[in-house]
Amino acid sequence: MMKKLAALFLAGVMAASLAACGGSSAASTATSQAEKAEEAAQEAVEQTAEQTEAAVETATAEGREFVVGFDAEYPPYGYLDMATNDYTGFDLELAQELCNRRGWTLVKKPINWDNKDAEIDSGSIDCIWNGMTYTGREELYTWSRPYVNNSIVMCVMADSDIQSLADLAGKIVITQTDSSAQTALEGEELADLTASFAKLELNPSYNTCFQDMMTGAVDAIAVDIGVAQYQMKNNPDKFRILGEEVSKEQYAIAFKLGNEELRDQVQETYDEMLADGTVMEIAQHYAEDNLPEMLITEK
Amino acid sequence: MSLMNVMRQIGSGFGSTLIIFFFTLLFSMPLGILVALGRMSKIKPLSVLIQGIISILRGTPLMLQLIVVFYGPYYLFGMKLSTGWRLYATLIGFSINYAAYFAEIFRAGIQSIPVGQTEAATVLGYTKVQTFVKIIFPQMVKRTIPPVTNEVITLVKDTSLAFVLAYQEMFTYAKQVSAAMSSLMPLFVAGLFYYLFNLVVTIAMDRIEKALSYYN
Repeated sequence: MMKKLAALFLAGVMAASLAACGGSSAASTATSQAEKAEEAAQEAVEQTAEQTEAAVETATAEGREFVVGFDAEYPPYGYLDMATNDYTGFDLELAQELCNRRGWTLVKKPINWDNKDAEIDSGSIDCIWNGMTYTGREELYTWSRPYVNNSIVMCVMADSDIQSLADLAGKIVITQTDSSAQTALEGEELADLTASFAKLELNPSYNTCFQDMMTGAVDAIAVDIGVAQYQMKNNPDKFRILGEEVSKEQYAIAFKLGNEELRDQVQETYDEMLADGTVMEIAQHYAEDNLPEMLITEK
Repeated sequence: MSLMNVMRQIGSGFGSTLIIFFFTLLFSMPLGILVALGRMSKIKPLSVLIQGIISILRGTPLMLQLIVVFYGPYYLFGMKLSTGWRLYATLIGFSINYAAYFAEIFRAGIQSIPVGQTEAATVLGYTKVQTFVKIIFPQMVKRTIPPVTNEVITLVKDTSLAFVLAYQEMFTYAKQVSAAMSSLMPLFVAGLFYYLFNLVVTIAMDRIEKALSYYN
């Protein structure tokens, strides 16, 4: 109750401060004010639910909150849908369907990718379900079975003279900080390739990497194929993927190391969804990003 | 994807930015006065302790301080973090950091008042508290408005640091919209929002300064 009051007070102060800002944009102020008040109220409800949940512990799995952590700058796996103003993506749609079946409430929690370990260890999220690479990280988390075959590819400008991985010698390559592409390039198997680059640069967001390449600041991007295809869809005829793949890997859902109970519950329902074709149906929503071909269909 | 749509999306994060801005000012200013008084205290250990705290808060990145406040309870005491803690940790982190800066500004303001005034007040029978509240404090407020405005403007832009705790403020939204559209345009729209907000802040602080300059 106290928290509810606090939230309402917060909403009140917000409204007052917005009003104080004056008529710069009266209409949008009014809408966002209403939205915020609604959000605050919702937060209060959520917090009450959380307290109740804490009281009963997780003894009753029914009706629990399932907090999925994801990078909201990672289309097509998790991103902001401009039409609905909500987070969506292949992985989040799967998580939603899974929660519907188990009677859980899905909480989509955008996280800062650099802090994903601290987020999952501290329990502020239940899992990372976001095109998270299993290959090479096997020992760090408790994993679901891999569900997507991913490849790391090199993306270049469409008119670039780079045609193969060998042409990357002396070029500047960029990738996302802490990404699986970085892990692959810095691994032993690709040491020769990486050593041939003039430089391997890192940026916190793949989106900025693509902007960098458009300006000519970098020559190529080592990136997950799904992400590259999403960029190519939004910027037709700008980019090209090299035929030669950098490496192959698999995606899986990551849970806190040792949290096998939750993992088993998720896996059980996921297998049902896979068996009755729901997973493939959801993958078809992302046919443009090639997801149906990448999906792992066998158990 | 129209510009209006982008502005609406980014605007939806504006409320969260305002929450940080508003509550940080609300908590850090009074705290700043207390810290300033502690810093000037004649009790040496207190003064030295506060000096040390200010030194750490000003000498380390705010981003790091936010991380320490948010994850600290888990790593130090093994506490499970709730969703609501994100906002509280953000507000605590910002408030203590800004309090350190405000404290030094207020100290400068207080020490700029001639000692003669305090002596005169003592002769007239004012207590220490009365002297501070009725004589020193009002003058300090007037003198420190320009540097305080500086801090307030910096705060508007610093709110974007809350992204490190995945607190959904305006710039976080702008980056997400940017990723969804594969374009940098939304970031510039966010820049416009910050600029307009700071314009309002500047005008408001200017008005306050004028309203308080009744003796000039």
